[in-house]
Amino acid sequence: MSALETLAEVSATRLNSFVSKWKSQGKKVVGYVCTYLPEEILYAADILPYRITGKGAADTSLADSYLTRVNCTFSRCCLELAFSGQYDFLDGATFVNGCDHIRRAFDNWRSHQKALPFMYILPVPHLLSPEALVWYKEEVVKFKEAIEGHFGTTVDPQKLKEAVSTYNESRKLLRRLYDLQAGTEPPLKGSEVITVLSAGTAMPKGEFNTLLRKLLEEAGTRKRVPDKKTRLLVAGSVLDDAEFIENVEGLGALVVTDALCFGTRSFWDLTDETGDAFDALVNRYFNHVPCPRMAGEYPRRMAFLKEQAARAHVDGAILEHIKFCDLHGTDNALLKRDLEKAGIATLELERQYGPLADAGRLRTRIQAFLERIRR
Amino acid sequence: MSTPKADAIERIVEAFEMASALPEDMDLESPEMKALIEMMPESRRNTFLAMAKDPDVRKMSAVFNRCLGIYWRKLLSAKDEGKKVVFVPFNFAPEIFHALDMIPVCVEVLTTMALTLEEGIEPYLDLSVERGLPDTMCSAQRAVIGLFETGLLEKPDLLVNGALGSCDPNSKAFEYMAEKFNIPVLYLDIPFYHDKRALDYYAKGYKNIVKAIQEMTGAKLDVDRLREVVENTNRASELFFEINELKRNVPNPVPNYYNMHHTGMKLTMVGTPDAVEYYQTALDVSKDRFKRGKSVLPEERIRLLFLYTGYYFDNSIYSWFQEEMGVSYVMDVLTAFDFNPLIDTSSVDSMLYGLAEEMLNLPMTRQLKGGWDMPDNWLSDMLYYARTYKADCGVFTGHTACKQAWGVYRLVADELKRQLGIPSLRLEGDGWDSRITPMSVIKDQFEEFFATLL
Repeated sequence: MSALETLAEVSATRLNSFVSKWKSQGKKVVGYVCTYLPEEILYAADILPYRITGKGAADTSLADSYLTRVNCTFSRCCLELAFSGQYDFLDGATFVNGCDHIRRAFDNWRSHQKALPFMYILPVPHLLSPEALVWYKEEVVKFKEAIEGHFGTTVDPQKLKEAVSTYNESRKLLRRLYDLQAGTEPPLKGSEVITVLSAGTAMPKGEFNTLLRKLLEEAGTRKRVPDKKTRLLVAGSVLDDAEFIENVEGLGALVVTDALCFGTRSFWDLTDETGDAFDALVNRYFNHVPCPRMAGEYPRRMAFLKEQAARAHVDGAILEHIKFCDLHGTDNALLKRDLEKAGIATLELERQYGPLADAGRLRTRIQAFLERIRR
Repeated sequence: MSTPKADAIERIVEAFEMASALPEDMDLESPEMKALIEMMPESRRNTFLAMAKDPDVRKMSAVFNRCLGIYWRKLLSAKDEGKKVVFVPFNFAPEIFHALDMIPVCVEVLTTMALTLEEGIEPYLDLSVERGLPDTMCSAQRAVIGLFETGLLEKPDLLVNGALGSCDPNSKAFEYMAEKFNIPVLYLDIPFYHDKRALDYYAKGYKNIVKAIQEMTGAKLDVDRLREVVENTNRASELFFEINELKRNVPNPVPNYYNMHHTGMKLTMVGTPDAVEYYQTALDVSKDRFKRGKSVLPEERIRLLFLYTGYYFDNSIYSWFQEEMGVSYVMDVLTAFDFNPLIDTSSVDSMLYGLAEEMLNLPMTRQLKGGWDMPDNWLSDMLYYARTYKADCGVFTGHTACKQAWGVYRLVADELKRQLGIPSLRLEGDGWDSRITPMSVIKDQFEEFFATLL
């Protein structure tokens, strides 16, 4: 089985073989939802961090009786899977107050009979200031202590250092993959890259790194995707759905880079390995490429997008947001204005996450966009 | 849209001055008044009647309208007088700007006042969306953004947002305004918790903001002026605490419309002598009604607690409750100031800390920043207000943009029922945009709900 096939299988299976193996060793698995959660702390405690998503939710009928139609479909799909027992294999869940929707998904899950034995929310400030960094560090300390207290484990400083190194390795490998994607005739389709990224959040990072290295080797021998396709960047709300990218690529495009929280925004920044691992981790997670939840950071987000667009030589950008996601929806309006000003053709797309996805409408809009920008 | 209109603030001032100029003993049935009322656009007419039908409410409204007219007029001459104008959301207390001789404008109050424009706010709501803003954003800020787009509203010198952590649409709207219209902006982060550590963090952020405002605008904080403002705030607080005491009576003598005034005053003019005058008038009116045994008509049948906000696009609902339905509107989240502190005026530091504490207890900041059932959060407040003000039922108006409230409404309502036996009604509508659910439909839904209670 090729590395890509293995990763695709991991991505497609909630309780995948790596998680099963981990659990069979008597080790714990804790879910998380956001890039502001320092996963390395869990990993150093020998707990598997597993990213919770709504992928695979067939409908949202259980979640809808708590979250409502004005709450985004991502949070509803996550809650649906939780309420229907799909996340029962987790030993706990750690959320972040990332946005109004997801923190309410947490509230509802925590208050429900399907609540996991360990339910924790790590409050992250909404401002990058020295005082906020102190607050965030205190919260990460509390989180570490909560993990240690609940699971009867300790986060050993040496193991934390090793976890930081393993995670950095993962980020470096992903950057290598993105470098290949940025070149002419990239080895993977964008939908395959999303699959790789998604798998990386659902298995131990050490084993993910092994597979990534194998994938990079295999990439050299793969038949390249022809360069005649329209090269795109995708940015916006949470997106771990290979089908969405497949739909885009089925219309003659190739997604060569992104600014997504499953993508570059999660791995672009490395953790400093020279000093105290805990402090470095706090700094890295606090200051990494900011999500639109971080106030006053629009210029930085804009600069990151432009940098990614230039690096991957894109012909255009798709700025998607899940309906009712005001953070990305509002940012996208500004980004569209500024990207177009910078000569990057942009499509703003409102979509739904999961089973309600309106593929036909999206296809029409993307097709029209591609006709406008086609080389 | 066509934009031949005059400056929005000028027209708002005109409306308030006209309303406050009407005699206290006016006869609404006289042919002149009838003709005047007939000429008004529907939402303005309904709101005018809500403020004018009852002579007691009229007395309070006269002071409110006069004070607000003066307040908005100051905005018109701000530039000529070299005063800086700052736009804030409802969860940033105005006192510090009064102390710095700046003019604070609460965006949500401005949107509410803009409802008096003859064209309404709908064209501005739509324009903001046409120009890029998602339609799922809050109408309370979208109208102001739409007004900026047309040029009918002058840009302020500064934006200061204090909604980070309690309301995503609100904080994003400010970032959007800053980026789109090139207005300097400052942000204040709200902590997730409500304890001493959280207050210290928040107060530090607040002091940083006060410092930054002075650096950016050249304004200087004078201790005596700050004390004068804070003493006015404390006086206003004492008065509205007394009004709240009266509200505990069954029947409740405080007119329903007081809640609308109270929100408007607290978010714009608290810290000024005008606000003290208003609250004194409202207290006198309420005391007098208490003495006379006056309450809602025909008698108090239901004591209603809005679990969240009320409606602002058509205030006829409050006089309808009062004059026809026998419903006493005891409280909503935007009038819930029972945890407002009296501020220590001994030093600049104590006053700034006290103002920060006041802000951490402002509506929505207090109830919606953390988990729904954490101490001093939404559930605990609703249980407190329902018990204290003897509510018979709760209503969630379901303002479209408030995803953080929608997301846990059911949990709060279920607990109210479980712990206090209080039933709740969930409505869907928009506080400012009448097109989402028209008032006639809202009233029908209320009537059906009330019928199940009686």
